[in-house]
Amino acid sequence: MIVINSRRPRRRRGGTLATLWGAGPLTRITLAATIAASVFPLYWMLVVATRTNDVVGSVPPPVVPGGELGRNLARLFGDEQARFGLGLVNSAIAASAVTVSTLLFASLAGFAFAKLRFRGRNGLLLVMLATMMVPVQMGIIPLYMLMAEIGWTGKLQAVIVPFLVTGFGVFMMRQYTMQALPDELIEAARIDGCSTWRIYWSVVLPVLRPAMAVLGLFTFMQTWNEFIWPLAVLDPDNPTVQYSLNLLNGSYYTDYSLMFTGTAVSTLPLLVIFLLCGRQLIGGIMDGALKA
Amino acid sequence: MTAPARVRRAKADLPAPADRPARRRSAGRLARWDVKFSPYLFVSPYFLLFAAFGAFPMLYTLWVALHDWELVGSRGFVGLANFRMVLTDPQFWNSVWNTAGMFVVATVPQLLLALLLANALNRRMRGQTLLRMGVLAPMVTSVAAVAIVFSQLFSRDFGLVNYVLGWFGVERIDWAAERWSSWLAISVMVDWRWTGYNALIYLAAMQSIPRDLYEAAAIDGASRRRQFWTITLPMLRPTIIFTAIISTIGGFQLFTEPLLFGNGDMAGGSLRQFQTVTMYMFENAFGRFDYGYASAVSWMLFVIILFGSLLNFLWLRRVGGGKA
Amino acid sequence: MPAPHFRRSGAPHGEPPKTSGAHPRPAGRARRRGRLGAGLAAAALVLAAGCGGGGADDGKITLTVDTFSTFGYEELFKQYEAQHPNIRIKHRNVVQLDDYLPRLEKWIAAGRGAGDVVAIEEGILTKFMAQPDRFVNLLDHGAGSLQGNFLDWKWRQALTPDGRYLVGLGTDVGGLAMCYRTDLFAKAGLPTDREKVGELWPTWDAYIATGQRFAAKVKDAKFVDGAVNLYNSMLAQQASQTVGHTYFDPSGKLVAAGNPAVKTAWDTTLKIQRSGLSAGLKSFEPSWGTGLKEARFATIACPSWMLGVIKENAGAAAAGKWDVAAIPGGSGSRGGSFLAVPRGSEHPREAAELAKFLTSPQSQIAAFKARNNLPSSPQALDDPAVKSFRNEYFNNAPVGEIYAGGAKALKPLYLGEDTNPVNQRFEDALLAVEQDKLTPDAAWTKALADAEREAR
Repeated sequence: MIVINSRRPRRRRGGTLATLWGAGPLTRITLAATIAASVFPLYWMLVVATRTNDVVGSVPPPVVPGGELGRNLARLFGDEQARFGLGLVNSAIAASAVTVSTLLFASLAGFAFAKLRFRGRNGLLLVMLATMMVPVQMGIIPLYMLMAEIGWTGKLQAVIVPFLVTGFGVFMMRQYTMQALPDELIEAARIDGCSTWRIYWSVVLPVLRPAMAVLGLFTFMQTWNEFIWPLAVLDPDNPTVQYSLNLLNGSYYTDYSLMFTGTAVSTLPLLVIFLLCGRQLIGGIMDGALKA
Repeated sequence: MTAPARVRRAKADLPAPADRPARRRSAGRLARWDVKFSPYLFVSPYFLLFAAFGAFPMLYTLWVALHDWELVGSRGFVGLANFRMVLTDPQFWNSVWNTAGMFVVATVPQLLLALLLANALNRRMRGQTLLRMGVLAPMVTSVAAVAIVFSQLFSRDFGLVNYVLGWFGVERIDWAAERWSSWLAISVMVDWRWTGYNALIYLAAMQSIPRDLYEAAAIDGASRRRQFWTITLPMLRPTIIFTAIISTIGGFQLFTEPLLFGNGDMAGGSLRQFQTVTMYMFENAFGRFDYGYASAVSWMLFVIILFGSLLNFLWLRRVGGGKA
Repeated sequence: MPAPHFRRSGAPHGEPPKTSGAHPRPAGRARRRGRLGAGLAAAALVLAAGCGGGGADDGKITLTVDTFSTFGYEELFKQYEAQHPNIRIKHRNVVQLDDYLPRLEKWIAAGRGAGDVVAIEEGILTKFMAQPDRFVNLLDHGAGSLQGNFLDWKWRQALTPDGRYLVGLGTDVGGLAMCYRTDLFAKAGLPTDREKVGELWPTWDAYIATGQRFAAKVKDAKFVDGAVNLYNSMLAQQASQTVGHTYFDPSGKLVAAGNPAVKTAWDTTLKIQRSGLSAGLKSFEPSWGTGLKEARFATIACPSWMLGVIKENAGAAAAGKWDVAAIPGGSGSRGGSFLAVPRGSEHPREAAELAKFLTSPQSQIAAFKARNNLPSSPQALDDPAVKSFRNEYFNNAPVGEIYAGGAKALKPLYLGEDTNPVNQRFEDALLAVEQDKLTPDAAWTKALADAEREAR
């Protein structure tokens, strides 16, 4: 959604585009169905979160929200085992830190791989591609041992530092830079006497903005939503929000309204960020350096 | 997230002529060093971090795989015995089959749907923003939340899915009991969450296709469908390869959805009908506490992913008929 | 490279970590606690920097207690803190045992991360008994004199065969009963009084006959929750009444195929299931909980710790509708835990004191009142407060009398190292029969084959 809005000005310029890109009824039906399917589980989450646990399994099932949200929220944040408030704060810190550093490091490396010539580039690129194939879960056990060795188990940096940049991010930035950044632009900047860093900062970054917005959102969400690793390395008294969610989910007693309230609350910040970023980017992103 | 304003300012003073002479003077050596070493500097954070938190654990896993390694207990060197055992382990191959099966059941429709969706979203219509928000909403939901909600929806006795199917005279389905039904339920979870993600990537790429290509095609009388096949798809090829590889990697690591679908059962159903390789690895590590064997399984998984991605890449490149 | 790594990280093969210098100094502990206070506080300050545990700023010692499910310790912690101003207790509880076990193993193996006092479920204890030096020897902290506070077999379960190393102190044991819904029984025209209900089913065959009477009248509910819970209870019962072990004999050999207790429990469970009496719900899964709430089944095999589980799942709406009767086929022990002090604890002396306090007869009585965890202490079992305890939720059933009455006659079960995974394979096979995917014979063969794999 972000990216699209950035293109609006250009679209207005193209006279025939309005008819060219209009939507037929089939498109509308497809979209309507997709959206219904997309939103329903979230809606169902809301319905259960606003009712008591008694509604689950009742026939017919409830289809509209009830009035129990306040009480469920109080129970959620009052739950001493789950520490939901702390989980929210921890996740916010971790996700922000990982996002900022991923954007910086991934765009730097992506730019270097796409546009800079240096010995061993292809070799390193291949190595990087190979590293992307490493299953994250594969490293969990030894990574845990490593964290224990340096005394990071139970601490927030354990869910931040190992993920400061991902192969995925680098690869995505590299692909996008190749597509969107003409070589002439870099050459022109070089002739103007720009250092490599300055080229990155003044030429590459503006071009990369749409892709970085996407990568940033994904990175934030991914870190926010990470499940297995926090579960492995953190302790229940210092959880991330997903861990808190799992602490709510007792196998001896399933309180769906409490769990669904938790899932709703844990999803809300991402929705807000999604909206905020969208608006910011609509105002802020102009046409990239391509057409400048 | 706050970058735009700063970046624009930086761009504004890009051609600042004032500092050019100064720079020229010290140019020579500094510029050469810059050109020579900056690229290494730029890629080094990734490789350093990967060395510490990716490669080291991986190699350590290899070391562990060569041992009869229990978390609490014995640590004898056994050479390749664990690997030999994995290769003849029917439970391991069952998990490979499940993983591959769910990968196909989930990924193929997902990427096709994403492409379709991106194409639809790329149209001009009222309420675009709202539409796009709606389509992308699942992405912001965590795997844990998705799994919790969907497992409830697919519950045999108390789930909404069976309730609705009941209107059409369908008997209650025990979704977790059969291979096909469990695969389907898990694939629905995966697709529900990731289709929007892939659609967004495709959309971003579609947006960067120069408009004049379409305009020229329109003038030549090419229909919209034809434009999609002759312009959009070829231009998207690198992106499609990208998403296919990412999906392969993601698909073969499938873990949280089937785990929570089975209420935390690492065996993945009564007859292991939806146990993935990663779950099998976890079962060996945390159920049997046999880390040596679990490490061997994880290396096998690595090899499979590598092989799968390579195959994927070559195949798509051939189908595409050109350079990726 | 990894092995020395590991040893340094605190999984000591030999000498214990030098912390407060308090290691093996038997006797006179009560007085020394005061004297050591200042020194320990200083030690805690130094150590806090190294491990980031924090909380030593006001000179208090923080003891972390790790438990799972429900131990009913909340009030006891407050009481202990009030009596010991220099101690602060941090409680970490993980609801699911399946989440708790791998975490505990990880902590114990790494030699750090675990609390100062940890709960150990009996299924995992055997495994830890093979490496007792990963825990503090409680005999070094004066626990030897407490032997009389525990049922003999419970005491010996956590003691090395040579009698020199005590890993843990018993918390609870799991006596067996049968819970049933009075409203559903009334609907089926069956007696609802707990004495009469118990008389309905002296044997499992009589239980099946009762079930068939029930099924003839009631169509919207099944007689029993499902094969898994039934089998587990029956296995514990059969095994403790006969050979005293389940899948593994005391020498650690897998004997699942030859143990008549396993086969009897298996056959009887499937007989009940084949009679169409089972709701087909797997215990502790969400839909099982919903089934409890929705009254989809009328009876459920009920170890003492199950009462709290039923109450929480069935909810306030079902208050007074459940009751407790004797279980068919006589008593048995299922489940139970211990408290231990991991070697990594920085305050082994204080932790041991706390563990001793929490497992004292008085504390076990308090935990029983809070959560119905059946004491493992004969004094507590004899205590009038336990014996006369009635559970309001369960139609005011005299659960103290029902469970505690037979508790001292309970026979211990030997559980091998790999009992948990092997048992899961048997549960899976039963589930496959319930799902109509395997015949009982094929499932039995498969369970045995899978058990061999787990025990490898």
